[in-house]
Amino acid sequence: MKKVININFQGRVIPIEESAYEELKKYTDSLHRYFAREEGKEEIINDIENRIAELFIERLKNNPAGCITDADINSIVSSIGRPEDFDADLNDSNESYSSKDAGSKAGSSAYSEPRGSLFRNENDKVLGGVCSGLAHYLKIDPTVVRILFALITFGGFGSGVLLYIILWIVLPAKQMQFNVRRRLYRNPDDKVIGGVCSGISSYFNIGVWIPRVIFTLPFFIGIIGNIFGNRWGHWDGFPDVVFGSFGGTLIVTYLILWMVVPFANTATEKLEMRGEKIDLESIKNTVQGEMQGVKGRAEKAGSDFKERAQEWGEEVRERSQAFASQAGPVARRAGSSIGHAVGVLFKAFFLFIAGMIAFGLLIGLMALIFSGVGVFPLKAFVLEGFWQNAMAWGTLILFLGVPIIATVIWLIRRISGVKSKNNYLGYAFGSLWIIGWVCVITLGGLISRDFKRTGYVDEKISIMQPTGARMLVDVGDLPGKYYGMVWFDDDHDNDFPGLSKDEDSMLLNTVRIKVVRSKDDLYHVYQRKLARGNSPAIAEQTASEVSFPVRQVDSLLILPKGFTISKESKFRNQQVLVVIEVPVGKAIRLDHSLNRFDWFSINTGRRRFDDEFDDWDNSYSWMSDTWYVMTENGLDRMYKDDNNDNEDDRNSEWKLEKNKEGGQYRYHKDGDTIDIKIKDKDTTVNIKLKTSVEINDDSENEKEGEDATAMEVMPEKKEQKSYRGSMISVMDLIKVGTR
Amino acid sequence: MNIENTQSQMRKGVLEFCILSIIKRAEAYPSDIIEEMKKANLHILEGTLYPLLTRLKNADLLTYRWVESQSGPPRKYFSLTDKGAEFYKELEATWNELANAVQQITQNGQLLTEPFTNFNQ
Repeated sequence: MKKVININFQGRVIPIEESAYEELKKYTDSLHRYFAREEGKEEIINDIENRIAELFIERLKNNPAGCITDADINSIVSSIGRPEDFDADLNDSNESYSSKDAGSKAGSSAYSEPRGSLFRNENDKVLGGVCSGLAHYLKIDPTVVRILFALITFGGFGSGVLLYIILWIVLPAKQMQFNVRRRLYRNPDDKVIGGVCSGISSYFNIGVWIPRVIFTLPFFIGIIGNIFGNRWGHWDGFPDVVFGSFGGTLIVTYLILWMVVPFANTATEKLEMRGEKIDLESIKNTVQGEMQGVKGRAEKAGSDFKERAQEWGEEVRERSQAFASQAGPVARRAGSSIGHAVGVLFKAFFLFIAGMIAFGLLIGLMALIFSGVGVFPLKAFVLEGFWQNAMAWGTLILFLGVPIIATVIWLIRRISGVKSKNNYLGYAFGSLWIIGWVCVITLGGLISRDFKRTGYVDEKISIMQPTGARMLVDVGDLPGKYYGMVWFDDDHDNDFPGLSKDEDSMLLNTVRIKVVRSKDDLYHVYQRKLARGNSPAIAEQTASEVSFPVRQVDSLLILPKGFTISKESKFRNQQVLVVIEVPVGKAIRLDHSLNRFDWFSINTGRRRFDDEFDDWDNSYSWMSDTWYVMTENGLDRMYKDDNNDNEDDRNSEWKLEKNKEGGQYRYHKDGDTIDIKIKDKDTTVNIKLKTSVEINDDSENEKEGEDATAMEVMPEKKEQKSYRGSMISVMDLIKVGTR
Repeated sequence: MNIENTQSQMRKGVLEFCILSIIKRAEAYPSDIIEEMKKANLHILEGTLYPLLTRLKNADLLTYRWVESQSGPPRKYFSLTDKGAEFYKELEATWNELANAVQQITQNGQLLTEPFTNFNQ
């Protein structure tokens, strides 16, 4: 007694025994698997099913009351043939029929060694089908070979590329059937993260918990190790080192598998995932068989390869002979072989170049997005209002993020050989990126509006006239610590622009010093604070918020090393222009620390702000660490009698160390030191000399020193003397001393 | 050297040629082709023929049309394209050359220790 069911087969209703139906199903499934990688798969299977339907109808005609039985199925199947029988029959005529490949069939080997030889697989390839051909030869999953090749390439400094190109040239192409019964897929039906573990468990026919435990083991061991950390302490970090790196490797492995291994989506793929006739026992058998066969196989592969190479070499020789003899088909074939090799080389070359360009673009994008993320904390200083912030986010995510994600997805698809049927993803990414562009342009427009106009505030700084007709300009410190931003950190001294610890204020040093001639016989100092904004009034307001306090200690003018802006006042290209008016006949010296000021202007308005420095048009250029005297014609070097080079040398040779807290300075050169200590709140200076340099204890010092009697100079080494005097005379002393 | 292997290779080389020549004579339905080849004692499985026909068709050597049938679903009738006819001509020339060569060599009674391995060099 058998159950009969009706099925719709190729548009006909067929009554069929249930067991026969099972047989039929198995048979068509086996066809699907067999033709899985065939180009016209659907059509072939459809043709065969059509034929089966025809035979069914024939049978039902002869026996109108009956149904399709097991026996019918068996006879039909054996007349059409099972996939195993196809193999035995015409498998290898599956080579290239397309005319483009007709010429590239290499030599005799295609016929004399029909099976188990190395070929490139034309049917399943990413680049040249080398990996897939190797996989076919070894009867393993091409994905596995690709991963191995990728590892060799990355680990072996590109030797994989060379190997690949050689194989590409030497191995002949061939359209090959997919000969692996089981493929590694990720299982979408049973997944925790990416379905990798359950795919592996299907592949090896083991419980899904086994790979899961293996992959998670390092975490548990790590946790246990932490709990019993004390007990393991004397193992000197054993669990960390071993299981840490072990766990890291496993995580990387998982990620790579996740990326490279495709999901088993269709029924066929799920069947391929579970496979047939493979369990641990058969793997064991296969492995044992393989182990015995490996040597022979390797030898065979070696000789295969050698033979190919020889053949190829022969063909090259034949080719050269053929030039002379103009001989027929052999020469043509050999010629196409050389053409093939050249073509492959070119293709490899261009792929390499294209790959490099793509890689460069990817790295560039990465750099962009990282700098984007890095600059992001600064956005609070620039951006104002909802729209600017929204556009900034849009720029970061859509303009920078989308191409990276798209590239990664494309790479994964290329590696895993997944081809999407529709382009929705592409359209989606494309339109998102266009939105990203809109964000960039809008953001640029919005921001540039805030930098359109310039406003400024002038401020006169009242100073006491320095004694001694000399002025020194130096840079002092600011309260609070500011941290340079890493991505600008080309030299470590540079902490501009810097952020305060709580990222609440930013330190800028867009400061410029101008030296001009005073109209009277007094020193004057002005500062002009500039900023930008949507309108001059706003810019002026922003400028007035800048605080740049200049201190004076007798003849020493101390500028702050920068000024801060807060998140509220925003960054609007604030600048500070310090104008020092020097009366004729008096001197000025600007410390080299002033060189650390940076000046840059952002001007997005049409109108150039030309009248910026009109008031002080007669400003003069200066060099740091040089004494100048103001004359009617401008600044003049005070010690121009000196050999310039010589003075510069000395300047560079004498090194200054500052002990900022205690107001102590130390100049040192070779074994000589000059210690300067500022006492009594800036009016008294102690100097210790420990030098072999001859000091001119002459009238000049006496003249300049306010308290010359307290100054004693001892040129001998080891003896230390104290000097009292104003700062300016001390500097002179050193100047004189080093002269 | 495996005798079956060699035999199957010898057969394989001529199968396409035979199939094309059957189709060249007249439009043919796959079952007809099987039948005709069976008559000539050249056995081929349908499961082998269908993929072969599809590949030849995909290579633009064959084309087909649907023909209604009384006994079942519509059938595909195959015929040669111009390209296929050319392809066939070349195969024919090669075959004649080969047949002559084989004939000559075997008639001369030369011993073939390694038969056909250097077939097309």
